[in-house]
Amino acid sequence: MSTPPGELIAVRYTHVISVVVVVIVAIWHFGYDSMVLVRGWSRYEPAWAALAAWLVLSVVQVIGSTLLLRSALRGRVARALTLVALLAGVVAVATYPEGQAISDLSWAANTVGWFGVLLLLQRPLHELLALLSCTVAMTVIALGASGELDTPVSWALLITTSYTTAGIQLTFALLARQLHHAAELATRAAGAQADRLARQVAEETRHTERRRRYRYMRDRIAPLLRDLAEGRAHPGHEAVRRSSAIEAARLRRLFAETEDAAHPLLHELRACADVAERRDVNVTFVCYGELPDVPVAVRRWLTEGPLLALASAEVSARVTVVAAADEVTVSVAADAAAPGTLRTSGSTDTSVMFDEKENLLWLESRWRVPGPRSTSASSTITRW
Amino acid sequence: MARPRTAFDVGIIDDHPVVIDGVRAWLAEEPRVRVRHTGETITDLRSGAADVLIVDLNLNGRLVLPDIGALAAAGQRIVVFSQFTDESLVMDVLDMGASGFVAKSEGQAHLLHAVRAAAADRPYVPPTTAGVLVSDRSPARPQLSPQERTSLLWWFQSMSKASVARRMGVSVHTVDMYIKRARVKYAQVGRAAPTKADMLARAIEDGLVTPGEVANSVRRTPPST
Repeated sequence: MSTPPGELIAVRYTHVISVVVVVIVAIWHFGYDSMVLVRGWSRYEPAWAALAAWLVLSVVQVIGSTLLLRSALRGRVARALTLVALLAGVVAVATYPEGQAISDLSWAANTVGWFGVLLLLQRPLHELLALLSCTVAMTVIALGASGELDTPVSWALLITTSYTTAGIQLTFALLARQLHHAAELATRAAGAQADRLARQVAEETRHTERRRRYRYMRDRIAPLLRDLAEGRAHPGHEAVRRSSAIEAARLRRLFAETEDAAHPLLHELRACADVAERRDVNVTFVCYGELPDVPVAVRRWLTEGPLLALASAEVSARVTVVAAADEVTVSVAADAAAPGTLRTSGSTDTSVMFDEKENLLWLESRWRVPGPRSTSASSTITRW
Repeated sequence: MARPRTAFDVGIIDDHPVVIDGVRAWLAEEPRVRVRHTGETITDLRSGAADVLIVDLNLNGRLVLPDIGALAAAGQRIVVFSQFTDESLVMDVLDMGASGFVAKSEGQAHLLHAVRAAAADRPYVPPTTAGVLVSDRSPARPQLSPQERTSLLWWFQSMSKASVARRMGVSVHTVDMYIKRARVKYAQVGRAAPTKADMLARAIEDGLVTPGEVANSVRRTPPST
């Protein structure tokens, strides 16, 4: 799947917006503000207070930017830093000479506004609105203090300045929120798509599995039942009974494969043993060692031999599983007739022995656990 | 403790009288056995109450592993006869110094073999114990040879040493020797117990292992805590 996980999209959008704000504020404060301050240095009253305000704002800017880029800017810290920036702005405005509230010397109101955009980027919009109102109020009070509010020109200047500073800042903040919202929508859409894909894959797997089971029943069970129904096979015949027992065990194992069990291999082996027990075979089942995860295909052939041996058992059978460090060994030792019908196709590491002296059918299947593939591949029947 | 060459005394500890009677009846097949003591608890027992004690692991709802350890540490030969066959329990029982472990489902022949072997300080490994040993993954486990592993595994699977011998292409005696050697290796690891030392000494006497092998394996064994 080429689509990145949805969450990543939202995180990336937020990060890009943060970087843009940080760059804007850095250029504005260290570039424009410094230039204005240096050019009008002798005219601020007093100059050291203007410099102090600039320094405090620099510190706030560095801390705020670092926290924002690390996604560590919490609400309380953001508000506190904003307040510090606002106070520094008030000090800076107070150092402007008479009649210079909006002039070549004024810099602080606009800067504090951009600081608000940076610090309150992830806060509710009304907090930024409150701050921007404060920055406009700062200029209004400065104008009022020097008695300039009487002239319509001053008002026109104030409105123009506010539009180009606070207005732009508000627009930027709104756009950033819009982008974030879009990112969230994209995130949700991507998540929904991933869910849909996962469901589709699961359904396809289930469908394939169902087809496999259906194929199996059509190819193996149906002919047996048809032969029985049409009288071609007789239930009294030993061979027919044995085939029926084998197919019954395979069916039972097929159902056990889809059941949820702590140790699927043991569960499926028990299912095979269960069928033998129904034929009154006395089955002992012993497992030692800690079983690793065994893939379903490996389980199928690890249980195939035991299944056939159990289906041939007459009176008693012993099923053992040993999970050693590097190998899982499944074995069935059963009293049985000669293993004439015992086919162990598909199982590579299965060996069967028929001990005539003890009438013992003894089968062993091994699976090497960590190695990529087993070294010995033998399927042999030994007769003694 | 003097090794009984002919007759020997056996004690039976089980909280079910029917088991005591049953075991007594089984032991009657072995003329050298004299049942000297029977009881339902192990707490008031002292080492030397009998040459071999047959003890149930769970007495009146309590696991008596610590008592078994204390008795074995005092040199008492013990065969644990239990319905609990959990691998960690079996390993603990052997580590404590019990001479053998027989599952109650394993029956008379295995119990008789185990008691006879214990009386002579010789190892006997019933199939259940073989399964536990061959699946042991503890870091302190002794190194078993491929033949010893195969013998244990196949003995556990088939419960017929004759079949194992035919499958391995060796004699029953050889299979038995591999199994005993594996068991003796376990007497060399874990906590020290006089019963384990007696089993080792007897194994050397019988030529099952050489003194050199024992010395090597003791040097390899990490110190028990």
